[in-house]
Amino acid sequence: MGDETRRHDVTLEWPDADRERRTIRIGEDETVLEAAERADIALPFGCRTGACGTCTGRLLSSNGNGDADEGTPDVADAFAYRRPPRALKERHRDTGYVLLCIAAPRTDCRVAVGSSVHAELVENPWK
Amino acid sequence: MSDASTPGDAEPEPEHDHEHHHDHEGPGYATPQAAIEEGEREKLAYVMSLYVGTDVDASDFVAVVDLDPESETYCEIVDRIELPNRGDELHHFGWNACSSSCHMEGLERRHLIVPGQRSSRIHVIDAADRRNPELETVIEPEEVFEYDLSAPHTVHCIPDGEILISMLGDADGDLPGGFLELNDDFEIEGRWEPPGEIEMNYDYWYQPRQNVMVSSEWAAPKTYYPGFDLEDVEEGNYGHQLHFWDWEDGTVEQTIDLGEEGLIPLEVRFLHTPESTHGFVGAALSSNIFHFWRDQTGEYRAEKVIDFEDREHPDWDMPVPALPTDILISMDDRYLFGSNWLHGDVWMYDISDPANPRRADSLSVGGTFGDVQEVQGRELSAGPQMIQLSLDGERLYWTTSLFSSWDEQFYPEEGERGSVMLKADVDPRKGTMELDEDFLVDWGECPDGPARAHEIRWPDGDCTSDVWQ
Ligand code: FES
Repeated sequence: MGDETRRHDVTLEWPDADRERRTIRIGEDETVLEAAERADIALPFGCRTGACGTCTGRLLSSNGNGDADEGTPDVADAFAYRRPPRALKERHRDTGYVLLCIAAPRTDCRVAVGSSVHAELVENPWK
Repeated sequence: MSDASTPGDAEPEPEHDHEHHHDHEGPGYATPQAAIEEGEREKLAYVMSLYVGTDVDASDFVAVVDLDPESETYCEIVDRIELPNRGDELHHFGWNACSSSCHMEGLERRHLIVPGQRSSRIHVIDAADRRNPELETVIEPEEVFEYDLSAPHTVHCIPDGEILISMLGDADGDLPGGFLELNDDFEIEGRWEPPGEIEMNYDYWYQPRQNVMVSSEWAAPKTYYPGFDLEDVEEGNYGHQLHFWDWEDGTVEQTIDLGEEGLIPLEVRFLHTPESTHGFVGAALSSNIFHFWRDQTGEYRAEKVIDFEDREHPDWDMPVPALPTDILISMDDRYLFGSNWLHGDVWMYDISDPANPRRADSLSVGGTFGDVQEVQGRELSAGPQMIQLSLDGERLYWTTSLFSSWDEQFYPEEGERGSVMLKADVDPRKGTMELDEDFLVDWGECPDGPARAHEIRWPDGDCTSDVWQ
């Protein structure tokens, strides 16, 4: 029979750090965080249940769409969630943020990762 | 004055009250006064240290810090108990036994219960060797989720050897929270309270002689985990209540709504005297301290007694609140100490009359407005946060990290430089504090990269964990 799980190429990019981007092949039954761990790539995480946002990534493009002028690519097209993404508010979900601990890919895509992405979610309200 | 010795008895009875401790069998001290008189100067500190949320690929750890000025490794992290997983966010922790069990023969203050705030994993560390503690047991998150609880916070022992942990969320990181009980073999015993007593949870303290426990409120884990969002304040997602429990029954007897002036009531402390029903809670977001007490009718009441004013910052859009995130009461119940994390102050108030705290002194250090912005050439990246006081009330220590995602928001440099631990010398007779510029412990120099530092405990009891039965 062979492996029936569909796989997608997911490219991880660190916006702030001097780190090389990495592309990993991820099955539809695997989350990005699990696949990264399998490939020995350290991504930040905390709860692993979709509550804390520590693992937040930002979808940069999906299936080749979404870069530059084309607006924010739709997370719902690119990923299926295992459980509800509680740590993300509607405004975050609409602007491409994705919880990598519970998100399994449905397309080839590129995602910004690393702790600086999580820090974008909320600003200092007094500043 | 004394117990009259029975003539003819071979052993004379001890004469003074403070000598009665020689009879006690279990851990800790017989009275708060005994802790002050018999407790030795703190020579080691255990400090929660963390990498969660950063790109440093290392697990959180418990730092053992040398506080002995006579030692060659004074102000150094002399041991690190690394935990087996990443992603925990070590936060608050506690002992398996404290002075509340000083009557329990065979029980020792030996195991540290160290929960992961984000992971819901609970670690048990054997600290029989005070300088080289070892990880003994790990309770995995799945076991905790089975009780529909997550986000462990405050750890106190129950006077019979069991352990109670406040839990801030349900298994999904949503409300309600509750309390998880461990038995003396460090296995989950179950939920301590009948579910549904409270929605939100945070810190708690109990006064067994008065059969009362008090608990405070932060928010649902999914609300505070990602960072502080004003939208959540507007939507009423942050706590503003205090709950007074029947300690024996585990049921809420009374809830006090602190209202607008009491937003986000965090650390809650009863006086140490076991007879007392007075205590204090800091409302972080409203920047107020409330005094609570039981009145003659048996009801608890709460009143705002300290109010920290917002301050204007030339480069910030809105007046900056003080954000008093931690408070503690000295072992002699004379002073209330606290930290204003955003402004950058540590302060002490004389609470001899708890209804009318009198400002004794404060230090302006670190934070947004601190007069002192570096110690020994080391820039301070955040304000004073978790505080701990020596048993004799003469040395106040603090670290600078609040919560990794909140640090990122308010003091982004904290993640790059790491936390520090600082110290002030306190004169309890005069009511003054002085920054000890010779003292600095730097988490910026940890081998895996800069780490954050949070709660501090002494090996033999401290002002934020010991309770008397
Ligand atoms: S690790 Fe907590 S939301 Fe993903």
